[in-house]
Amino acid sequence: MTRNDPVKHFFIWPALLIVLVISIFPLIYSLTTSFMSLRLVPPIPARFVGFGNYTELLQNPRFWNVAWTTTIIAFVAVTLQYVIGFSVALALNRRVPGEGLFRVSFLVPMLVAPVAVALIARQILNPTMGPLNELMTAFGFPNLPFLTQTRWAIGAIISVEVWQWTPFVILMLLAGLQTLPDDVYEAAALENASPWQQFWGITFPMMLPISVAVVFIRLIESYKIIDTVFVMTGGGPGISTETLTLFAYQEGFKKFNLGYTSALSFLFLIVITVIGLVYLAILKPYLEKHK
Amino acid sequence: MSVRNFKGSGRWWALAGCLLWLAFTFFPLYWVAITSFKSPLGVVGGPTYIPFVDFDPTLTAWSELLSGARGQFYNTFIASTIIGLSASVLATFIGSMAAYALVRFTFEVKLLSGVIFVVVAFGGYLLGRHVLGYGQAISLIYAFIAALGLAIGSSRIKLPGPVLGNDDIVFWFVSQRMFPPIVAAFALFLMYTEMGKMGFKLVDTYTGLTFAYVAFSLPIVIWLMRDFFAALPVEVEEAAMVDNVPSWRIFFGIVLPMSKPGLIATFMITLAFVWNEFLFALFLTSSKWQTLPILVAGQNSQRGDEWWSISAAALVAIIPMVVMAGILSRLMRSGLLLGAIK
Repeated sequence: MTRNDPVKHFFIWPALLIVLVISIFPLIYSLTTSFMSLRLVPPIPARFVGFGNYTELLQNPRFWNVAWTTTIIAFVAVTLQYVIGFSVALALNRRVPGEGLFRVSFLVPMLVAPVAVALIARQILNPTMGPLNELMTAFGFPNLPFLTQTRWAIGAIISVEVWQWTPFVILMLLAGLQTLPDDVYEAAALENASPWQQFWGITFPMMLPISVAVVFIRLIESYKIIDTVFVMTGGGPGISTETLTLFAYQEGFKKFNLGYTSALSFLFLIVITVIGLVYLAILKPYLEKHK
Repeated sequence: MSVRNFKGSGRWWALAGCLLWLAFTFFPLYWVAITSFKSPLGVVGGPTYIPFVDFDPTLTAWSELLSGARGQFYNTFIASTIIGLSASVLATFIGSMAAYALVRFTFEVKLLSGVIFVVVAFGGYLLGRHVLGYGQAISLIYAFIAALGLAIGSSRIKLPGPVLGNDDIVFWFVSQRMFPPIVAAFALFLMYTEMGKMGFKLVDTYTGLTFAYVAFSLPIVIWLMRDFFAALPVEVEEAAMVDNVPSWRIFFGIVLPMSKPGLIATFMITLAFVWNEFLFALFLTSSKWQTLPILVAGQNSQRGDEWWSISAAALVAIIPMVVMAGILSRLMRSGLLLGAIK
């Protein structure tokens, strides 16, 4: 039950005001700038160009390239995180030996600064001084240029994302698994359902709502990736591993092309919103079926 | 034996899988730890794995780092600590108040008032900027005040249209996290620059960065704390209300102490977020209030392949959070974070 009391305003206004300021100012600012041609270096007076920035961006192959790279990284990384995270969470939930220790240690990567992770990845993937290539050569594979060849570089970024964020999936799914009722499983065991059947018949459907939420959060967050890429490849080779945020950073902070950057930010926002809505729309029937 | 435990050989397969994942998780951390004790020659000569067997550990990198020969490490560490702690304390405090209000009090906002706010804010800005010819910051401030005033005023009178409840307000808060931070970071940087021209220096200051972090942590704090508060038994508060204890004393005297574990967990999650944050720090600081992630990222371009010193620098950023992970998992085992996901 909620109650009514004038003191409620005192409780909510500080947070409301701060979030309002920080959300509406940038929104107003970048939305209005996105319709103008505005450069700081070299300084050009602002000029209204309507959708000029947007059409220019949509015709720029670099934008499509960057959007595609980001999408690949986000989708592949989140899929892997979900599959691995779910398996590990299942194992921990069923009290694998040493479960207590695993639980503590599996959490660690999530709390390591992404910048530091990227630096460590650079060391490990280094072609001459890194351990990974030594291992590869020991097994008879060629010495691979992990960070300087597009495919390997994207693969490397994805592995770093998986390393860092699978713990989040484990944490959330494990918490979800622990709330599942025991009696359903007891009934299934009486019916001699195999573990495989139990998983697809009981666990997976019952975990669907939280899975949807976890994947959604991870997908949105993955689209914002910048620090790892910034340190590991700097977007290179060329622009082949550049992500949306990095592209916006380059245009805005290096070239001070404000109108263009703002338009890019809004296209970015639209891309994320569309992906989020499509994702939820696809999954809605399944969610309702299992309610 | 519970139905949940493994039967037969499945247990060992699961263990093997977990060990494999453990190795994948810990090898990079092990690697950075040993690299920070290697000598320059030990790094360049190719990979080595076990201290004292493969290579002779030295303290060169650490003594260089701690003696300050590698840039202003102490300053950055202190700046990171101060900003991290104060932003997380503030965000947890303000966010808890809002979360509590959203759990226990009734809020009703007319959708139309929200629309009025956005429209007036936009219109006011455009009017001030392009018709009246004010500067950007001034027009933004006037537009914001006008929009807020009109929105509050309009909520007093009877308006048609749908009414938003507590859940919608929570959703609005949480949805702020969907916003790509680059949009906000860049706009904030320009706004701060404008404010600087008016005499309020915000770029590369404590206030500027802390404010940004508080604002961006609030959604997650409200989301987490709302579940903690909702799980508290309401009877205690009702008993206090019967005794005519004012609401603010119920909150500070009863509710906050009761939800101490939740507060600590939320505080630590926020701290980890602020400590590791990169994009805002990149835009909003330049030298004095630079945080650790920026310094660590800078090592890369400045020092090329001097992995020994880069590793030591990275470890300084990593270790405090790893210690915190230990504490957090302790809390987690007591089932604390369970409520946070429902």
